Amino acid sequence: MEITVKKDSDITIVYPVGRIDTSTAKNFEEGIMKVIQDSQQVIISFSNISYISSAGLRVILVAGKKISSMKGQLVLTEMSEKIHDVFKMSGFDKILKIYPTFSEARGVFDK
Amino acid sequence: MLLDVKNDIREIDRVFTCIKEFCCANDISEKKCFDILIIIDELATNIISYAFDDGQEHTFTIMIEKENELVHIQLLDAGIPFDPLKKTEPNTDASLESRKVGGLGIFFVKQLSQLVTYARIDGKNQLDIFVSLKEEG
Repeated sequence: MEITVKKDSDITIVYPVGRIDTSTAKNFEEGIMKVIQDSQQVIISFSNISYISSAGLRVILVAGKKISSMKGQLVLTEMSEKIHDVFKMSGFDKILKIYPTFSEARGVFDK
Repeated sequence: MLLDVKNDIREIDRVFTCIKEFCCANDISEKKCFDILIIIDELATNIISYAFDDGQEHTFTIMIEKENELVHIQLLDAGIPFDPLKKTEPNTDASLESRKVGGLGIFFVKQLSQLVTYARIDGKNQLDIFVSLKEEG
């Protein structure tokens, strides 16, 4: 799975591309965990994600727990309606920070 | 449509393509197609990952057909007897720290379908899933 990583001062923005399912989740997890080693202020943008299954949600949960234990922040943004539906169905919308637009997600770190 | 699928995770790519074609050919909305993809992905992935423990190549089948306002999906595998409906459901109200990893796949399948049944027939696990094509709200 292709993952683009950008830096904005001390914030890291992660852009995974394509589908996050069992066949790509391992790759996605490795990419995210590498990012967390260096930075615990992380935004994941779903702008290039067309599909996510429980395998993908598992990775997000593991990353969220890890970042939380390191006193960092994980913010998710730019989800399509269907991707957001999957997060709502899992109850993850109640335990993770999800914002519709990138500027709202970015604003979390200015507070 | 009947698909023969090998117990290899790389097969999921091909399954996605076939299911999308099926949805397109049957005028199933993109939203419903997404739900159907999740259901089939979660169940097929379970079979590929856990049904066969002898390291050999096996084939299982995915059948999908449209019956008026319902889509009927059937998965048949000759693997280890396993009723996924018996899995305990995840606590979707738990906090981030206490939320357990896993158990979501079957929960999604139940949430997205009208009815899911499991039976062990002639040495095979048989899962039948019915998805309503009526759009909610």
